Amino acid sequence: MKTRNECREWRELLGAYALGHLEGDERAGLEAHLEGCAGCREELAALAPVARMLPHADPARFGPAPQPPPELGQRIAATIAAEKERTQQRQRRRLFGGLAFGGAAAAAVAAVLLLFLFGGGGSPEPAQQVRFANLPEGISIDATLEPHAYGTEIHMYVHGVPSGTLCRVWLRGPRGASYPAGTFRYRWGDDSDAVLSSALDLSRTRAVVVDTGKRTFTAPVSSPVAALDIANEEEPT
Amino acid sequence: MIQLGTSTRGALSRERDVREAYAAHSGELYGFAVRSLGDSGLAEEAVQETFVRAWRAGERFDPKIGSLRTWLFAILRNVVIDLGRARAVRPGVAEGGVEPAVEPLDEALQAWQMEEAMRRLGEDHRRVLVETYYRGRPYAEVAAELGVPEGTVKSRVYYGLRALRVVLEEMGYED
Repeated sequence: MKTRNECREWRELLGAYALGHLEGDERAGLEAHLEGCAGCREELAALAPVARMLPHADPARFGPAPQPPPELGQRIAATIAAEKERTQQRQRRRLFGGLAFGGAAAAAVAAVLLLFLFGGGGSPEPAQQVRFANLPEGISIDATLEPHAYGTEIHMYVHGVPSGTLCRVWLRGPRGASYPAGTFRYRWGDDSDAVLSSALDLSRTRAVVVDTGKRTFTAPVSSPVAALDIANEEEPT
Repeated sequence: MIQLGTSTRGALSRERDVREAYAAHSGELYGFAVRSLGDSGLAEEAVQETFVRAWRAGERFDPKIGSLRTWLFAILRNVVIDLGRARAVRPGVAEGGVEPAVEPLDEALQAWQMEEAMRRLGEDHRRVLVETYYRGRPYAEVAAELGVPEGTVKSRVYYGLRALRVVLEEMGYED
């Protein structure tokens, strides 16, 4: 039988033992004690992983850790507030100009509605917010399309790809033809939209395509006329 | 009916939550970012991007799966990888011979974690571990220098390792 005190004496050697620092009689004595003491074996087993982690650390770095500059927190809060504001603006725009969201059927209904509202030909189309579905985690892409006499103006917002990524954008027409809209580079910390343009009329635009080098993302465009065309032609997406 | 933790899911979707998370964890995240990126400017960029991404994905944070700290470190890890890649393709920087993260990132994280645990240790415990383990000095010599019996150095090594284990557990480390 071991007394508590005896255990304690041996136990206080377990640290040096776990580090491989114990020698001679002390080492032999402790090992003999461990043979017969499940409690001390358990304690050793709890220390072993910690001892194994020691070599990972660099003792030159045990001094005070560097602290972030005091203004970093405010900068982050400001970035988030700005992004929130932008998102809300988008939502307002979407409510105002969109209507045609949520599936082809809804798009077709909305398209008919819009045709009613704007009386068919000749009236200005509203700006279109397009949505990129099935984006990988961490990546967000948004685009707003505005009709012009020269074609379509594209406000493009990309976030979450590596900083410096070259993005190529084009619009896809009724028969799959591509109309380049230009390129831009995504930079961290830049929250502005890239403004691009393409010669393709918004009414004939079927999709917005963004190529980030590694991957290509496509968002369908459901402008009133386009939606009707899709309904008539049953064009595959 | 008991609903565990449903009220805290998405705990980072509000700006106020981000401020609280920043107050609690920015020091550690920044420390690791500096260690792995070797540049305080890049580290600031990385921490900023981490909190912005966390806020954006705030709805997806689920405390039932893991702690906020673990989640933030997972995001920072990805950010550091992205930053390393971006820096690697930026001409000029690469030519300067500044190779990003020669040390594999997970090793850097482990190293940083251990160093942070050491910093949180009491001075007595840290001292004996540094002298005996990292500097490889004989226990008798360390004991003489500290003016304590050799047995005390050994027991401090033991209690130091125990304290380290507790600190690592508090930091979310699991073996």
